[in-house]
Amino acid sequence: MEKLDQVFVHLKAAIVHLAGSFLPDWLVVIISILIPIVGIAMFGPVTMMYLTLIERKLLARIQNRLGPNRVGKFGLLQPLADGVKMLTKEDVVPTNADKIAHFLAPILIVIPALLVFAVIPFGRNMIAIDLNIGVLFFLAISATTTIFIFTAAWGSRNKFSLLGGMRSVAQMISYEIPFVLSAVPVFLITGTFSTAHIVEAQPGLHWFVWTPWGFVGFLIFFLCGVAECNRTPFDLPEAESEIIAGFHTEYSGMKFALFYMAEFMNVFTVSGLVVTLYLGGWQGPFLPSWIWFLIKTYVLILIMMWFRGTFPRVRIDQLMNFAWKFLLPLSLVNILATGVWYYLRAPLNFLISGLIVVIGFSFLMFVNRHSLPKKRIYRYA
Amino acid sequence: MYGFGVLKGMAVTFKNFVQSYFVKDRMVTVQYPEERLPEKERFRNFPFLIYDGTPDNLRCVACDICAKECPPKCISIVREFDAQGKPLKRPKIFDIDFTVCMNCGICEEVCPFDAIYMDHEFEIAEFGRFNELQYTKERLLKPEEYFRKIRPTDATRIAEERRKKEEKKAAAAVAAPSTTITPPPPQSK
Amino acid sequence: MDVLTLIAKFGIYFIFAFTLSAALLSVTVQNIFHAALGLAFALMGVAGVFFVLHADFLGAIQILLYVGAIMILLIFAVMLTSHIGDASVHTSNRQVYPAMILSLLLVYLLVRQIGKVTWQLKETLTSIDAVEIGKQLMGPYVLPFEIISVVLVVALIGTIVIARSDS
Repeated sequence: MEKLDQVFVHLKAAIVHLAGSFLPDWLVVIISILIPIVGIAMFGPVTMMYLTLIERKLLARIQNRLGPNRVGKFGLLQPLADGVKMLTKEDVVPTNADKIAHFLAPILIVIPALLVFAVIPFGRNMIAIDLNIGVLFFLAISATTTIFIFTAAWGSRNKFSLLGGMRSVAQMISYEIPFVLSAVPVFLITGTFSTAHIVEAQPGLHWFVWTPWGFVGFLIFFLCGVAECNRTPFDLPEAESEIIAGFHTEYSGMKFALFYMAEFMNVFTVSGLVVTLYLGGWQGPFLPSWIWFLIKTYVLILIMMWFRGTFPRVRIDQLMNFAWKFLLPLSLVNILATGVWYYLRAPLNFLISGLIVVIGFSFLMFVNRHSLPKKRIYRYA
Repeated sequence: MYGFGVLKGMAVTFKNFVQSYFVKDRMVTVQYPEERLPEKERFRNFPFLIYDGTPDNLRCVACDICAKECPPKCISIVREFDAQGKPLKRPKIFDIDFTVCMNCGICEEVCPFDAIYMDHEFEIAEFGRFNELQYTKERLLKPEEYFRKIRPTDATRIAEERRKKEEKKAAAAVAAPSTTITPPPPQSK
Repeated sequence: MDVLTLIAKFGIYFIFAFTLSAALLSVTVQNIFHAALGLAFALMGVAGVFFVLHADFLGAIQILLYVGAIMILLIFAVMLTSHIGDASVHTSNRQVYPAMILSLLLVYLLVRQIGKVTWQLKETLTSIDAVEIGKQLMGPYVLPFEIISVVLVVALIGTIVIARSDS
């Protein structure tokens, strides 16, 4: 089991050793840097393609129909067919569009999505770069996605695109604040930003999610992650029946494929970060570490897809209310509960911090009671 | 209690998901080329011509009513003449342009000789655009047994009516066998 | 010279060149949205310079705040003023050459003066842990920290007051 756990690390060491036997030293260093990059570049897009297939089949089964099952057995070659379709589509650029912005936006939006794979710990000793500002790097880079969405919306020269783009930017910057603030309790407890150290601070099954502040923090962080990826129920800026398709209306073929790929990579990395911060990363009892990580990440991704199959979309004002009036104060209360938990002893700390969280939650629900929609009574004639 | 509505909704979709694998009649998808939905008798698609027995014995007499009534004018009929130039009661050319035909069924309704009916065939896609979908008389002729198979109630009803008409004609022919010309009865004003 | 050091130097000079060219682009193009994009890239290049100098925390904060928030604000301002994206709006004036000469003179004077000061440089660059920065902010530098917090709160309240509808 130990060998299976470190199989990728040994593989990389073997390749570097093989290269070191006949190549000069500096080239060996470059190769040992390139191996995780190539691994990520191979793993990322292939996983994204099959995630689109899993999403379609999952949504179909929820909706009492079969998903794609014609192309290959069980539809397994469907992503390839989709790829071929998107590659051979005609690339339509509107006449009045801003050519540079229209061309650059899809390219630039994939860059942050790929760059944050570098700080996610896929297993024990399996992280591309162990930065000592790991999570901060992640949060900063995913904040730059916003400006590229704006570029996409502006470059289309389409009022509906612009409106969708502005809504998307408003949503993303509103949900970034509870996103960052709900990650702060983890930094308080572990005293570091580095993702590898955060995972090592949750040994065995002592994950942060089992503590009161961890549970609330997990929920807030996960919901803000769903909002950051523009997924249902927060997909007002880019859903098909709203604003045509929001900021990626005017993009066809490969450019749209790049947007789609960036969105799914965002889904994977945000789920990976939630797993790292709150669900114990690759920690787990029997199985190898990278299998635990993949299981946990995929469970969260499946929950995101389950949300998509279940909930209606949130309106833009309800979305903003939810972020500013509920999630932001709740995450501040969460930080207070964390501090209390850290300084008291068990089991008193669980009780007190749990009490603080419950009081905060109830107070915020009471204060926001008018924003909740009233229960509808249907009368049939 | 807050948050339980959300969880109840997710439980409903989860139940749907799990039962879609085990409960067979939840899936309403019909996997088309392998399974088909049962044919409905009243389904109305492109027309066909009927013959009794052999293809030469077709019921159409080239009266041209269906061609005149057809809204997009997709039927073209040319009557057959014999060697002396006398018109026969059969069409030489009976073409329907399936790219124009809109499956309205008016030709079936107005035909006085029960010669043209609407078929059920819909898998007639062709690769060409110009000649393959121009149906000539040979392609349009189908036997009466085929008609009985696809539309049994209509076929039995129409066969009954035709048989009754035949019997009445035979009875009228029996009742007046003489060849002398009888003067018409006086008309009362 | 060691090949790796050469590659590292090449990378560093590339980051510098990227920053400078993005900044140059941002002041020379006509279309104001492209200028804003150029500014965003220049700020990202500055964050890259911070990473080169091993100031990781500062570089990440630079990206998070400048590119992630301030540029958004700038682009909102560009977006909400109408007709500013049209090509007909002049973003430069006719005194380009005198301005260029004066600014180059200013740059030369500044660089000469900065070069004359004996700065106290560290021999090796080490990255500071964020915990250290936190302790410094709460210890010797607590007064500027609190004053900045008060300024931010005042700005927030002022924004809310301005943005409320007169009801």
